[in-house]
Parts: sequence; C-alpha cells; structure tokens
Amino acid sequence: MSTADGPVVFDPADFGAIPSSRVLRRWMRKVRRGKADRTFWQQFEDIYLIVFAVAMLGATGGNVLLNLNDKSAACTSGSCSWLLDTVPYILVPLLVSTMLRVLLSIGPVSASRATAFWLLATPVDRAALLRPSYRLVVTAAAVVGAVAAAVGWALFGAAWSTVGEAALLTTVLLLFTTCATVWAQQTAKRSRWALWIADGLLVAAAIPALLLAVRQEPQADAATRTMTIAVYSYGDKPETSALDARLLVLSAVALIVAVVLVVLAGRTLGRLSRQTVVAGGDLLAGLAGAAITLDVSLLADVVAGRHWRLQGRLKSRRGRGSNAVAMIHREFLRVLRWPRRLVIAFALLVVPYAVAGTGYDVLVPIAAGLAGFGAVRPLMDGLRSVCRSIGLVRALGMELRELRVIMSVVPGGFAVVWAALAEPALGSPAVAFAVAAGMLTGAVRQASARPPSYSGPLVASPMGAIPPGLFSTPMRGFDLLLICLAPVLLGLSDMWVVIVPSIIGMILFAISPKQN
Amino acid sequence: MTKAVPRLAVKGLRHLYAERPVIEDLTFTLRAGRAIALVGPNGAGKTTVLKCIVGSAEPAAGEILLDGAPIDERAETVRRDVASLLDDLDFFPDLTVAEHLDLLARAHGNPTPEDLVDTVLDSVGMLGAADQLPGSLSSGQRRRLALATALVRPRKLLVLDEPEARLDAAGVAWLAEMLVAEKKAGTSILFASHDAALVDAVADETVTLTPLS
Repeated sequence: MSTADGPVVFDPADFGAIPSSRVLRRWMRKVRRGKADRTFWQQFEDIYLIVFAVAMLGATGGNVLLNLNDKSAACTSGSCSWLLDTVPYILVPLLVSTMLRVLLSIGPVSASRATAFWLLATPVDRAALLRPSYRLVVTAAAVVGAVAAAVGWALFGAAWSTVGEAALLTTVLLLFTTCATVWAQQTAKRSRWALWIADGLLVAAAIPALLLAVRQEPQADAATRTMTIAVYSYGDKPETSALDARLLVLSAVALIVAVVLVVLAGRTLGRLSRQTVVAGGDLLAGLAGAAITLDVSLLADVVAGRHWRLQGRLKSRRGRGSNAVAMIHREFLRVLRWPRRLVIAFALLVVPYAVAGTGYDVLVPIAAGLAGFGAVRPLMDGLRSVCRSIGLVRALGMELRELRVIMSVVPGGFAVVWAALAEPALGSPAVAFAVAAGMLTGAVRQASARPPSYSGPLVASPMGAIPPGLFSTPMRGFDLLLICLAPVLLGLSDMWVVIVPSIIGMILFAISPKQN
Repeated sequence: MTKAVPRLAVKGLRHLYAERPVIEDLTFTLRAGRAIALVGPNGAGKTTVLKCIVGSAEPAAGEILLDGAPIDERAETVRRDVASLLDDLDFFPDLTVAEHLDLLARAHGNPTPEDLVDTVLDSVGMLGAADQLPGSLSSGQRRRLALATALVRPRKLLVLDEPEARLDAAGVAWLAEMLVAEKKAGTSILFASHDAALVDAVADETVTLTPLS
C-alpha cells in the first residue's frame, strides 16, 4: 500500500474473504445505533401510535364490512346472486393484472441508488442483499391479495367461509404472480411478455364487466328469490360441505406450492441486474416523497415522469395556429401521445353501466362521477406542469388563470363526450351534465392545487410538525365533484342539477390558482 | 508465445436509444496499465459506452470482454475487478464520509479498513470532512468522495465518466497524477472527458466519438 503522498494501489489479493450481507448489515446497524437521537420511549410511542391507528382503522373497516356483508347477504333478488357469481371473474383478473403492472413497475425487487452503488456493486452475495426487499414484496402481495379478496367477496354478500377460501386462494395466486414477476425482472423480454399478459387479463376482466353492464335487471320474483336463498345457504348442505373440503385441500396444496415457489424465486435474486433494481428504487423514492405530502397529483407526476423517461424519444409534431389556439392544439396532440390512457378512460365507461346493471340506481351518478374523474384526471398533465412551474407560466406569457382555462379545453371536451356516452346509464341529460361538470372541475382543482408547503407556519401533531391542511390534500378535487353531484344525490329538480355545477365551474375558472 | 489477452475488449458495439442508434460498430481494446480516453461532443455516446461496459445499459449488438470473458456485472469477479464512477452515485444520508468508505472497503473483504480509509481521505484531501454527512458536502467534495471510492477497493479496470467534473484546477492536477500512478500500478483506465489537458496527461490512446445523424 502506498503512502498518503501517492495513489493507493491494491492487488485483489491484499483483501480478505468477502463478508456476508448479514455481517455488513450488522455493521451498519451498529454504526447507525451510535447516532440514534431518539430514546426507546419515543420509539415506543411511535410504534404504539401506528399499532393503535391500524387497530382502529381495522376495527372500523371490519365493522363496516360486516354490516355491508349482512345487508348484501339479505338481498334476495336474482341480481344479487348473479353479481356474486360474476364478481370473481372481474375481480381476480383485475387484481392479477394490476399486481403484475405494479410489481413490474417497481421491480418487483428494488434497491436505492445508495445501496446499488455502495453494496450491490461489490462482490457481496447479491441475492442475500436483495432478500429483505424481496421478503417485503412477497408479504405485501400476500396482504393485498387477502384483503382485496376478503373485501371484494364480503361486499357482495358471500358466506364467510367462502370469503376465507377466496382470500386464501387469491393470496396464493398473487404469490404466484410475485414469483413470476421476479423471474420476468431478469430480462427485458420477459418483462414485456408479462406486461402483455397483464393487458390480456385486463381485457378478460372487462368482458364480464361488459356483460354486467348490458344485462337487463331481472324482476325479483318468487323463483329467483328461492334460488338466491339457496345460493346463500349452500354452506349448510352436505354436498357443498364436500365441495368446501375439496376447496380447502386445494387451497392448502396451492399454498404449499406457492411457498416452494417463493423460496425458489428467492434463490434467483442474484441474477437481477443493478439497472433493474435501481429503476424501481428510484420510482419508490419518488412515490414515497409524494406520499409523505399526501399529494395525489405528485404521485401521478412521478408515474408520468417515469413513463416519458422510459419512452426517451418521440416523433416531433409541429403545432398549429397561435396563442390560445396553438396551446389547445398542443394539448390535443399531447393527450393523443399516451393512447393507453385514452383507452382506459373510455373503458371506464363500463362502470356506470355495470352499476346500473346491478340495480343500485342511486349509486350510478356517484360511480360515474368517480370513474369519470379517474378518466379525465390523467389527461391534465399539461395543466399540472404549468401550475407547478412559475418559470413556465412566465415563459408562456399568460396569467395562470388564463392558462388554466386554455389547458382545460381538451379535457373538458373529453369530459362532455364521456358523460354523453354514459347518459343512457345516468338516466337524463341533466345528470350527465352534472357528472361532466363534476369530473372536470374536480380534476382541474386537483391538477392545479399547490403542494403542501413546509416553509410556512406548521401545526404541531403527534407525527411532528405538519403544514395546515395536509390531511385535506387527498380530498382536493373530490370535494367539487361531490358538490356538483349533490343536487342529483339529494333528488333536486333538473334546474338545480344544472345550475349548481354551472356556478361551481364559473367560480373555479374565474379565480386564479395559488402558487408557492 | 501466446498473445496476451487484453484487459478490456469492445467489439462491434451497437446501442440504440429509443430505437435510434447512438453507437454503431465501436471496436477498441485496452491493455493492462494503459488508458483510453473517450472524447467527442455532447450526445456522441461517450457515457453510453461506459454504461454498456459497467452493465447500466444493454447493448443492442456487439461484445464486451473483460480479461477475455464476456462482461456481466452480476458476476462476482466483475464486481471485484471493475471500479466505476458514473452519474449513479448516491449516498446513505445517515452515514458519514468515512463510514461510506469504511463500508465499501469491508464489502470488498477488508476487515480492518480504518487506516486505509484515513490514507485515502488524506490522499483525496478530505480528511477534514471525514465526519461530515453527505448532505453537508459541496459538489466538489462529493466528487472527491466519489473518486475515493475507487481507491479503497481492489480494481483492475477503472471506468470514469468525466472524472474532472466539478473539480478545481488543483483537483484536476491531482486527478491526473493519481490516474497516471494507477496506470503504473497496472490498472487499466477507460474514461470520458472534455478536458484536453487531462486527456493528454493520462490517455495513451483516444477514441473519438461523433453523434450519429
């Protein structure tokens, strides 16, 4: 080894055996403990707060679910039984498809840039270094599977034994999915195949949803009532007990296979490249930053930013006209640039029709409003960009208020078309107008909202200092949607159904959004 | 007499960025104790070549061999022998400068790296910043720390992307000295640079890249 005056040069033989990841983790823990600035009591308080919050939310949610299950199970119409029979064919492919997409976008196995540079680039066993991240993903997939299936089945009135079986089987299915994504993460080609499968499953989920949407609501006659009661009480019959036992054995076998697969997939983690694990780490870091501020728009920004970074290059298309016309034209071209969003936006039209098909007419406007909000909000990236950049507003040479109006023209046109297509399910043009206005004003408010500012006065809370209004941030946008739909939900006349959303829209577009 | 295997051989490298070729049929070899500088204007693909070599980007075609074997950053020997400094450096916010280097040395099998870390910190002029956390470092100090990472670990090949970036004049002079000494010790160096003086002082050969139209 040379002295401090010259370069320090080594031969690999100067170094000893490569340590295990456990030894390194232990070293890091020791170093970090030396810098700990929180007492055991303070940490205990934090843990207590989390456990208490989870227990409270779990108890409340569980109670609500229990009541809804009781109410749904008491439903004796043919619609209810048909719905219960159809839901698995929508829910399961939708869950697997969503899980595939989410897991592939974060890796599923991910690591921070720091870990990638300081640890993954060393000869330490990569599989062992990545195992904690893998365990976390597997656990999360299992929990999501169990909770989503339990909620999905319970909401539509399935018997609790059926809910349990569905939760177990869905958990196993999502564990298989997780293992498949770990295998897919190893090469770009496999990842592309997995994404195509996810798209296929989405289409598979849309088919029964469409059937539900076009189905005529049957009359609850005596025959269907008898049939439905039979469906809900099948757990007591001996032949169904045998079926239950078979299902239980099948579930147990599937669970064992899933555990074996999880172990086997865990052994292949060393085959993952640094590049693939860091990409997910970057995305998670961005999402975590957005989640801390409870800023839904920022979450969407992170996802959109990643999408365009991966695209890298597009064919340039020249604009038309000048001033506002040019900007509207550019917005139109920009919306067309991400066709998947448009396809999903139009696919969401199935929601109001499907809810109408179930016979829950009172829920149709709110379901349509929420689906429409989800359809139109992703089309507002342009508005979002100008609202978060004072420099961009200055460069464009207009007031932010004017820009907000201009940037809303294309999404507004889309909202009108979407609501018009949903009109047969909504029942009247006035309701369709209220839905269009609600989804547009809500989405505009959310897209143009300021992020919570930590530079101003803060409010003390058990979680530390937080900006005022932090917890209302996720509700921004949905509040206007609800106000626009209030006359519909309250059963007011068509005049009020049109007037209230019109006033909301006029106020929204007349005022200038605030900027930090 | 058998011909010596080059430390690094790049043959017919091709890389596409969003279906547009940015590198086309690039071939060069780098022997032990020699240095090659990649030069060319912005957008010529210098960083992309380095990324392909360290496994941060996947070539569309071609072959990259380290000591005669295809390079794969997942292989333990590659991770041991190739020290790289690209734009992918990040830090653990709660570890000090010295602890970062300590961790890296340990991960490479050095069980008692304290003296080594102090020596390297002294060598890069950061002994006074040993206890600072990364968030409090200036961009120049971060760069020096990044360079120090290559010095606390074994290395046969150094891959550096604009190592002179954010260094002052004295820092660039120190860097040139350090790289020349590395060559003398048998380390091969592949670096991209816009600094003509650094290229003159360190490189035995230059590979000029031009943007593909």
